[in-house]
Amino acid sequence: MKQRQFNRSTCYKIVSVIIIAILAFTFAFPLYWIIIGSFKTPAAINATTPQWWPQEWVLDNYRKLFSRQVAALWEIHIPFTSISLMGPEVPAAIRWLLNTVFMAVAAMLLTCTTAAMAGYALAKKRFVGRTLVFSLIVCAMALPKQVILVPLLREMASLELYNTIWAVIFPIVGWPFGVFLMKQFSEGIPGEMMEAAKIDGAGEWKTFYTIALPLIKPGIGALAIFTFINSWNDYFMQLIMLTSTKNLTISLGIAKLQAENATDFGLIMAGASLAAIPIIIIFLIFQKYFTKGITMGAVKG
Amino acid sequence: MKKRKLMALALSCVMVCSMTACGGKDTGSDQSASTSTPAPAPAEKEEAPAEKASTTENTDSQTPTGSTQAADITLWTYPIGSWGDSATVDGLIANFNAVYPDIKVTVEYLDYTNGDDQINTAIEGKQAPDLVMEGPERLVANWGAKGLMVDLGDLWTDDAKSLIYDSVQNACKSNDGVFYEYPLCMTAHTMAINRDIFEAADALQYLDEETGTWTTENFQKAVQAVYDYGQTNVGAVYCSGQGGDQGTRALINNLYGGTFTNPEHTEYTANSAENIKALELLKSMDGINFDASIAGGDEINMFCNGTFAMAFCWNVSQEKNNLENISFDALPMAFPSEDGIPQLCGGIWGFGIFDNGDPAKIEAAKTFIDFMANDEKQVVESVKASNYWPVKDLGNIYDGDALMTEYSKFVEYMGDYYQVVGGWAEARTAWWNMLQQVGSGTDVATAVEEFVTTANTAAAQ
Amino acid sequence: MSKNNSMSKALVRRETIAGYAFMLPSLIFFLGFVIYPMVQCVFTSFFDATMNREDIFIGLANYKELFQDKVFLGALKNTVIIVVVSVPVTCIFSLWVSSVIYDLAGPACSAFRCIFYLPVVTGSVAVAVVWKWMFNNYYGIFNYIGTNTGLIEKNINWLGDEKFALGCIILILLTTSVGQPIVLYVSALNNVDQSLVEAAEVDGATKFQCFWKIKWSQIMPTTLYILVITTINSFQCFALIQLLTSGGPNHSTDTIMYYIYYNAFKLYRYGYGNAMGVVLAIIIALLSAVQFKMAESK
Repeated sequence: MKQRQFNRSTCYKIVSVIIIAILAFTFAFPLYWIIIGSFKTPAAINATTPQWWPQEWVLDNYRKLFSRQVAALWEIHIPFTSISLMGPEVPAAIRWLLNTVFMAVAAMLLTCTTAAMAGYALAKKRFVGRTLVFSLIVCAMALPKQVILVPLLREMASLELYNTIWAVIFPIVGWPFGVFLMKQFSEGIPGEMMEAAKIDGAGEWKTFYTIALPLIKPGIGALAIFTFINSWNDYFMQLIMLTSTKNLTISLGIAKLQAENATDFGLIMAGASLAAIPIIIIFLIFQKYFTKGITMGAVKG
Repeated sequence: MKKRKLMALALSCVMVCSMTACGGKDTGSDQSASTSTPAPAPAEKEEAPAEKASTTENTDSQTPTGSTQAADITLWTYPIGSWGDSATVDGLIANFNAVYPDIKVTVEYLDYTNGDDQINTAIEGKQAPDLVMEGPERLVANWGAKGLMVDLGDLWTDDAKSLIYDSVQNACKSNDGVFYEYPLCMTAHTMAINRDIFEAADALQYLDEETGTWTTENFQKAVQAVYDYGQTNVGAVYCSGQGGDQGTRALINNLYGGTFTNPEHTEYTANSAENIKALELLKSMDGINFDASIAGGDEINMFCNGTFAMAFCWNVSQEKNNLENISFDALPMAFPSEDGIPQLCGGIWGFGIFDNGDPAKIEAAKTFIDFMANDEKQVVESVKASNYWPVKDLGNIYDGDALMTEYSKFVEYMGDYYQVVGGWAEARTAWWNMLQQVGSGTDVATAVEEFVTTANTAAAQ
Repeated sequence: MSKNNSMSKALVRRETIAGYAFMLPSLIFFLGFVIYPMVQCVFTSFFDATMNREDIFIGLANYKELFQDKVFLGALKNTVIIVVVSVPVTCIFSLWVSSVIYDLAGPACSAFRCIFYLPVVTGSVAVAVVWKWMFNNYYGIFNYIGTNTGLIEKNINWLGDEKFALGCIILILLTTSVGQPIVLYVSALNNVDQSLVEAAEVDGATKFQCFWKIKWSQIMPTTLYILVITTINSFQCFALIQLLTSGGPNHSTDTIMYYIYYNAFKLYRYGYGNAMGVVLAIIIALLSAVQFKMAESK
């Protein structure tokens, strides 16, 4: 009896692993195809029978990608003056990459900071209007940004933020999922510890900083990763808010390449590789933290 | 300890970020950042300063007095020949800056898939470009009609009016006679066939290679011959979006002599018996697919790699841009019509100016247009950059260019420029939706009727 | 806890001030970039608003039109289909994959986890480029393999056929959304209290019973979290539609999210688009509230 059951479950396991291996192959395929495609000749890439492995490796696509348009590597405007510090001229694709990294990191830092504080307050402070604020947050949590498309665009225009990276960052930061997540985490902070800190004479900020923050750190990690990846992929806001070549992000840049050069798949693939490879490298390096952060977030929350 | 440092670092980063944010000018905002001119005011409405501006100095490129003009302007171009290619455009702007060193032109390149959306969002974002290069359907019928463009009446001098072809002239002004576009070049959109396949299928007998024309009857026979030969995908009525839709419109209008609008350009007539007959014919033909997964650009690509034996989205630029991708003899053809005399859908391209409320920019933009389109030496280069033909008689500027000479025979077949009809943007969208319906089996008459209703409603507004 | 009941007014005030002080940075962004535009959205939904023209007050006309607009109703249906199909399928699929791979040898497990995460980090735009080619009517890989192996008789126009297009979009959406749930489930399954499992096995429980009776309840919090993020993700499915089908063929892949964009920037109907946004927002708010209440009660 026991033996048979064991056999059956082993059998199930082996079959499942095989199926999953096949599926894994299809999951990895798009990335494989992008990278391989970026080294193919135009003839090979447009061939009607797929060339699984390029017969001839060329760098032309990358050469073309980098020789298209140029932009300053960075551009920092000093507030209240008309002075701008411009970086050296580089291919626009490099600038797009930099914009994307800046956007994702800024969105991540801002979101984590504001959400950690707000989540803590919602969970631990009994303030007037708390239920109302929290209900608003829950209701708005899954709201797609398309809903507020036109008003947001007009608002950014009147704030003169349209066509700046901040027009993409701020709505991400305002999106209340992070606050919700951090509130769930902060529920777990033991009240006694806070009481003890208060008795020791710690102020509000110090209590938060020394007691709450270390405890919700895994949650912040989870939120950081979630925000980073989401903003990296937040194609919609970028599409609406950014227009100048130098302000584009890498996803938007590729989407534009695709629209402009429907015939030049090699170029598109090169752009797509450039977009995918950095974040995959980041992912591989930080894989452990990625998974750890995400899990601790979920399991505890 | 370490945590503290990290947190402090993070916080300070955020502080710095938000500070630059307050400045609001970090990575972008070209216009507000680098000029001292007042940024576009956030107020919703502004008095249109167009009329005031247009009365100022008469800009003339020959007199270097204009060179003292200083402004930063932005130019957004659609991919009109090499006007979509930064290397070429940089050269053209260098010519301009040699005469007007103080007018800085920043160029952005649009595409036909998202370009309109991009300009529309930019308009709402109060960062519309100063100059835009496109055709009357957008400059006149769309943004012009919405009151966003500057009246270019002062560029249209009597001289200009006498030189520029009448048909072009009419297309560049709105129904009330205001000029919103100053044209530079034009072409006639054609189709193309894969000559190698046609030859192998013995279908060349159905067309006149000399004139590049054929009759509807012969078109049917040719497609059938190619289909029977084994090339089951002869051509596609592409309809996943609006890209390249002039091809599908011209094909359907030409087959039985239908028209897209009435001659006054006030009403859509796509529901005429001729057009319905044409759609029904296409639907019934072997080898012609209604394909809702591709648009014009994809079709060109698939023609070039041999998937299709003919392309409906074609003109000389397509051939020039794809020379290295085509491994066969691509033969340009006019669209088939009953009598063999086609009415080709034209393309006219030129410049328009968005009214961003800054007279200096408007003036500089006008100077730019004047230089590109009127300067005797420059205009040839500007037109050549587009790979199309001039809108006035400049002599044979393509002398010795075999390809251009081959295509120039189609210019005489240029038909009515109906794209300036009202509600054009909505009608275009409705058009490909209509084709999708036909493709998926909706009765042609019903689908066309719905299209015409939608389009005429939009036109009436 | 009578102390709490008799909390002095001063204390309430102090708590309130501290609470809002902590909330402030977040509230600025939340109110400024979510709530304020939302209010604007509700407001303009009563107007006939378009580009560069004074808005005209038309009362509820937009809403009236909305519920007679076949395309809108179709888009609503598609949106619901996407969410209703992709959320459970994502959860079940990722649970199945995780349950198979979580006790594999370390490197094998992490390799699988990594591969399933790849489409997430590759980004929808890059992924869409490849899928567009794979679904190509004439030489796409699906048709190539399908016809060569005899699975399909003749080429299928995946993205150009009403019958398949939405399914294709959902399929791509699935590949880009199972990564995170798998990572979560693998860790959650590894954290299941082994002593309970062993005790049950001693009692003669089958693997299957073990799973449902013990593991399932222990990974419940993870499941809820996954439900929430997958729902959010499904509602954000815009790039795939914009890049692959533009809502076609015949509006069969239109979602409300795309249709709002379409109305705003192709038809210039801002007020109408906003009315749609309001309807969608109400639906989503209700859904989120229900989901949250369910999570709370567990």
